[in-house]
Amino acid sequence: MCAAASEPPPSRCKTLEVSAEAASILLSFAMRESEAPAVELGTALERLSQGLRPAEGGAMRETLARDIADCVRALQFHDRLIQQLAVIRNLLTRLTDHPLPQMAGFGAMRWEELLTELRERLAEHSHHELFELLLRTGGVAPGAQLGQGEGTSELF
Amino acid sequence: MARILAVDDSPSMRQLVKLALASGGHEVDVATDGVEALEVAEKRQFDVVITDVNMPNMDGISLVRELRRRTNYRFVPLLMLTTESTSERKQQGKEAGATGWLVKPFDPARLLSIVAKVLT
Repeated sequence: MCAAASEPPPSRCKTLEVSAEAASILLSFAMRESEAPAVELGTALERLSQGLRPAEGGAMRETLARDIADCVRALQFHDRLIQQLAVIRNLLTRLTDHPLPQMAGFGAMRWEELLTELRERLAEHSHHELFELLLRTGGVAPGAQLGQGEGTSELF
Repeated sequence: MARILAVDDSPSMRQLVKLALASGGHEVDVATDGVEALEVAEKRQFDVVITDVNMPNMDGISLVRELRRRTNYRFVPLLMLTTESTSERKQQGKEAGATGWLVKPFDPARLLSIVAKVLT
């Protein structure tokens, strides 16, 4: 990553590489750590769902069924978060494999080069959307719409 | 009641799809990627296959293409369930032989109604 003569001092480059690698490893650990609780939550929902006997009927049953459906929908955002984190982890890994635009003299042009490189590395439309949203806002506001098509269905 | 194969590399997504379909009385088997799904689908005949798109080893679009080559899956409804929503990807799915394209997050009741629709 820091091969060219005009690049920053080796110690700084090494720090960047180590930081990127450490961040990537931390992300992997965090993603793995959150997997088991998400599955546990899913299993608990499954048990609740199985506990709903049709014969029991009534408003309580309807409310519980609706709550379970809400949980099923909400829990899918964990999966989405894991996917986004996997993309970020892959980007970090690639940063250590390929030279980035020079850090020295970092200006508007370098910034554009960096953005172009990062955009090229994003594989999915939803990742592009997230990236553009982060660029625009500096963060994702609660309730921000990432995908207009989410939750839609189409039969061919 | 139908026999449904749900394919997703995410353990929690497999669980949620299974939960939603089982609540509608369907019998659900799961697979973690396209390769495993093909193995399972060869051992057992399913009435519907619901698959994610981005998976390791074999993606959902390749899985649909492979299943359509098999005579016993030529007319079986194959649904894509994915976060992807671009028209390009949908077109790829359609060309591979997918019956429909559902964008995550799914609503359990909606998923059940779509399954009912493609089974009629």
